[in-house]
Amino acid sequence: MHELLERTIKEASDYFQNFLIHEYSNKSALHKIDGRVKLVSTVVFVVLAVSTFSLSKVITILLFLLVISAIAGLNMKRMFERIWLFTLFSFIVVLPLSVYNPLYGVIFTLRVAASLIAVQMLIMTTSFADLCSSLRYFKVPKTFVSALWIAYRYAILMFRELFAILLARESRRVAKGSHMDLWRKGGEAVGLFFLRSFERAERVQLAIEARGGNVVEYRGKIKKLDLIYSTIVGFTAFWWVII
Amino acid sequence: MHIPDGYLDLPIAGILYILSLVVLGYSIYRLRDEKFTPLFGIVAAAIFAAQMLNWPIPGGTSAHFVGGALAGILLGPYAGSLAMAVVLTIQCLVFADGGITALGANVWNMAVINVFLGYYAYRAFERFGKSAASFIAGWIGITLAAIFAGIEIGLSTSFGYGLSVTVPVMGLWHGILGIVEGTITAGVVSYIASSRPDILEEKAAPGKTALAVIAAMIVVSPLFAYAAELVGYSEPLENAAEMLGLSENPIYEGLLPDYTVPGIDPYTGTLIAGIVGTVIVLALGYVMARYARTT
Repeated sequence: MHELLERTIKEASDYFQNFLIHEYSNKSALHKIDGRVKLVSTVVFVVLAVSTFSLSKVITILLFLLVISAIAGLNMKRMFERIWLFTLFSFIVVLPLSVYNPLYGVIFTLRVAASLIAVQMLIMTTSFADLCSSLRYFKVPKTFVSALWIAYRYAILMFRELFAILLARESRRVAKGSHMDLWRKGGEAVGLFFLRSFERAERVQLAIEARGGNVVEYRGKIKKLDLIYSTIVGFTAFWWVII
Repeated sequence: MHIPDGYLDLPIAGILYILSLVVLGYSIYRLRDEKFTPLFGIVAAAIFAAQMLNWPIPGGTSAHFVGGALAGILLGPYAGSLAMAVVLTIQCLVFADGGITALGANVWNMAVINVFLGYYAYRAFERFGKSAASFIAGWIGITLAAIFAGIEIGLSTSFGYGLSVTVPVMGLWHGILGIVEGTITAGVVSYIASSRPDILEEKAAPGKTALAVIAAMIVVSPLFAYAAELVGYSEPLENAAEMLGLSENPIYEGLLPDYTVPGIDPYTGTLIAGIVGTVIVLALGYVMARYARTT
């Protein structure tokens, strides 16, 4: 069981850092832009990046994204830390094909890198509450957005619950079991964890009803800075089209 | 199994978005009268946390489970697919795990195929015992979801490998990992069956018609993807005309002739024409809706 516990704590700690890091990252100009504008811009950037195999277009979108991120004051080191692994993975996946067509390997990898940067620009500068409000503004069903919001808010609590169960099991362990034993006990631990999550869901439902419901709605207005950013995105798309 | 941006062709990604939205929309519709939000919100958080659990595998490595079949067994296919869609959306929007353009495909594979097939496999084999049924459900759910992911990226011309590579690689690898998925699913279900058997009582499931439609959509989704690829790169009628030596003689070319913008390269032109067309249709729809409301 100790192997499982160690791995879990290590993995979850890594994820926790990523999970909340954008909430604490330095404020940049992009942080001040409306979540709706950033969400649409991200979709535009990703579509532009993945809808072409022209090297000049892919490099254009990549350069625009990097310049916008740098000028806006995003932490570029942190951004590269977050994108390098999957970019490298994508390069390795298409490496055998790159032997015959090196340009394909380069363009494929750059497309993935550009998409990842576009998504990171959104993630690093937008709170999850803003994202949920933006989704509601774009008419994503309330049921789905509310579930997203609850899942996000309770994820940390559920991690703690899981740790508590695992630690309790570990403290009761008197001998190191076989692999089969480990898996069986692990299954039981996760079973207990799901039972507790059901019971918590019941309590949360009652609490929500007692407080008069849980509505995520958008109240912000489009500002001058949002229009400037939209113009930059529009200009990027225009430049992408004409080259 | 999360497909990132850049691996799928846009027509295929678009088709899978539509298929996923149809099933999720129907699931929300079926759950409209139930107070399910906290339940699948918190179960989604629990699945999300449980995905962090790495099970040691002999040989010094480890694997984690996806939880699609488990979500289906515990919540039923509708709430289960919504819970998985919530997990995948958070993974996409918070961790950049899975692409924005590929979210439709990821939801289709892991929140529709994995959940629905897992749920029905469990029901089909339940008479042989809950543990055996949940093992099969966990294994078959993740393996088939991976095979569908292989088909989707194999059909995409953006991804240089064809179906003959992507399907066996995804299917075989996940077929092996699926043993871990099945074992964990069986462990969880057995524990819940002994502690709270009421949770495993039969959940709201699709009626025969809805089930037939969803099953048909799952079966033909690779064909949809294939058709999207065909439409994206060639027009069958134009091919036929070319074979017969016929040529177009239009009376009026239109503002965006042949879905292109004069003076701009065809691919970009088609993209712009598509956006313009969508905006026009949306605007007309909005005007008609306003008109219908006032009359």
